[in-house]
Amino acid sequence: MSTQATLTRSRAAPGRLGLTLLFGPPALLFVAFLAVPIAALAWRAAASGELGGNITSSLVLDSLRLSAITSTVTLAVAIIAGTPLAYLLARRSFPGKMIIDLLLDLPIVLPPTVAGVALLVALGRRGVVGRWLDDAGIDIAFTTTAVVLAQLFVSAPFYIRTAKAGFESVEPVYEGVAATLGASPLRTFLRVTLPLAWPSLVAGAILCWARALSELGATLIFAGNLQGSTRTMPLAIIDAFESGKSIDVPIALSVILVAAAAVLLLLLRVLARGTPVRV
Amino acid sequence: MLRIDIDTHVGDFHLRPAFEAGNELVVLFGPSGCGKSLTLQAVAGLLTPDAGHIELPGGAVAFDAATRTYLPPQRRNVGYVVQELALFPHMTARQNIEFGIAGWPTSRRRERVSHLLTLLGLEGLDDRRPRQMSGGQQQRVALARALAAEPSLLLLDEPFSALEAPLRSMLRREVAGIRRRLDLTALFVTHDLGEAYALGDHIVVYDDGRVLQHGDKDDVFRHPRSRRVAELVEVRNIIPGAVVAYAEGVAVVRTPWFTARVRDPQAPVRGEVYLCIRPEHIILVREDRESRDTTNAVVDAEIIEEVAMGNTHRLFMRAQAEDTGLGEPYVFEVDVPAHPYEVMGVATRRDWRIALTAEHIALVPRE
Repeated sequence: MSTQATLTRSRAAPGRLGLTLLFGPPALLFVAFLAVPIAALAWRAAASGELGGNITSSLVLDSLRLSAITSTVTLAVAIIAGTPLAYLLARRSFPGKMIIDLLLDLPIVLPPTVAGVALLVALGRRGVVGRWLDDAGIDIAFTTTAVVLAQLFVSAPFYIRTAKAGFESVEPVYEGVAATLGASPLRTFLRVTLPLAWPSLVAGAILCWARALSELGATLIFAGNLQGSTRTMPLAIIDAFESGKSIDVPIALSVILVAAAAVLLLLLRVLARGTPVRV
Repeated sequence: MLRIDIDTHVGDFHLRPAFEAGNELVVLFGPSGCGKSLTLQAVAGLLTPDAGHIELPGGAVAFDAATRTYLPPQRRNVGYVVQELALFPHMTARQNIEFGIAGWPTSRRRERVSHLLTLLGLEGLDDRRPRQMSGGQQQRVALARALAAEPSLLLLDEPFSALEAPLRSMLRREVAGIRRRLDLTALFVTHDLGEAYALGDHIVVYDDGRVLQHGDKDDVFRHPRSRRVAELVEVRNIIPGAVVAYAEGVAVVRTPWFTARVRDPQAPVRGEVYLCIRPEHIILVREDRESRDTTNAVVDAEIIEEVAMGNTHRLFMRAQAEDTGLGEPYVFEVDVPAHPYEVMGVATRRDWRIALTAEHIALVPRE
């Protein structure tokens, strides 16, 4: 380790205390801002005493199952289809690359409701592509498939962006050396490039999955809000909240979502840490 | 025989080297950015030239523009150690070395790795990751990895540049020894003149994408064929003169400061020339001894500056033009080893006579 790195980690370095005192209060304020609502949620859920009953209600269970399935399928499709695209964007130059880059940025910038309208116009029963599918007897809008497509549209770019940056961070010299050692391009990708880009791929997967899980606007427009087939957790929360019966159901749903998200985030962190190279 | 004759543009840079190498260690020497590393990339298959021909030792044609032949890097069987080493950081030393021989039967593969670990003094380090090893150890692993698949050609791109001097010279000797034992062709890129001299059987002098001179290292060092090569191999005395007579392999060359006889078989025999004399080939004349060869050029010169360089002293010695009305004084650079420096009491005297021997002057044409 270099002297400089040692120095950065030394707590005894002079002048550090002043900055800690200066930056500490605003930092703590922000942490409180994040923690208080989450804690309030947990406290209210526990206080209502009906958490168990709410969790086992069919409304909650159906939406929980649907969210788990759709976000997982979305993540899987994003990884399978997005990884090759991310690699090509990082390593090759081809005509139209800039347009693809732009296309990938659009869903990140646009409100998800716009994505929902666009999907509906394209794949709805009377949509540009949808009418052909309708003739073939395939109906997508307002089905669970539509939920996945809506999530994929808004969340896959997060994975592809991060994965692309990961592949770009792998020095091409590693791939060159692997080739001189007799490795085919595919073997080089699987044994060298992929492991070296792994932390970025995991980070991208977390972002993508989180975005898919919280997807609301595009789903509502393109897939609707049908219990059991398109009503995911975020939709169920809106629904329960707007029905105005009791705030206990939305609270229960939110607590479950927070807990599930926390567990998955932790799991993925561990997964990323278990990899040989960290960036 | 490795044969390289390529012509290609990389951005604005025009690379057009041509040379051959047998089973020997050939040093590609030249300033940074002169195209040495790009040449290695072309030989390894990581850079495809626009035109030309590359033939690997053993006769396989790796690249030929005329017949549109291109062998991909994975089929060239070339061991390539890049400057940054590029050890796979997620693999242990053993896994790195095994990477190129993954298709071998397990027992043979194990045997090969053990052999290489022993050969390079890496016993006991096989389970270490690159970041858990010292620079020298990483260097050895990179070399073992490149050698694993028994390549017919070894390419080394300034592999020791990140290491400290003593370790560097040790690894240099090891590489030379291993290459000899395996009877490999090896190309070694360096911009360090000392390294080039210590390592090479042959030396290829590069400048600006071209090969300026190629040959036995002593020949290149003592008999540069152009002023640029003389500068690159640090011939410090490059003196303008003219050939005034030539007979039986000996040229008589006149300069404003002296007239010297030159025995350089490849020298131009008439016209304007530069005389190239290495600092270590200029001799301080001891007044208590008769000059053994009175036909040497002997010049009066005065020490105006000196620099101690460890085991030698470099003297800057000013000589006046023979006809003082004509021309500026010339400042010779003269290297005197520490021992004669003390014995002769160089520090105590400023005015000396220096001798130039006929065999140690190279002539290059003056354009």
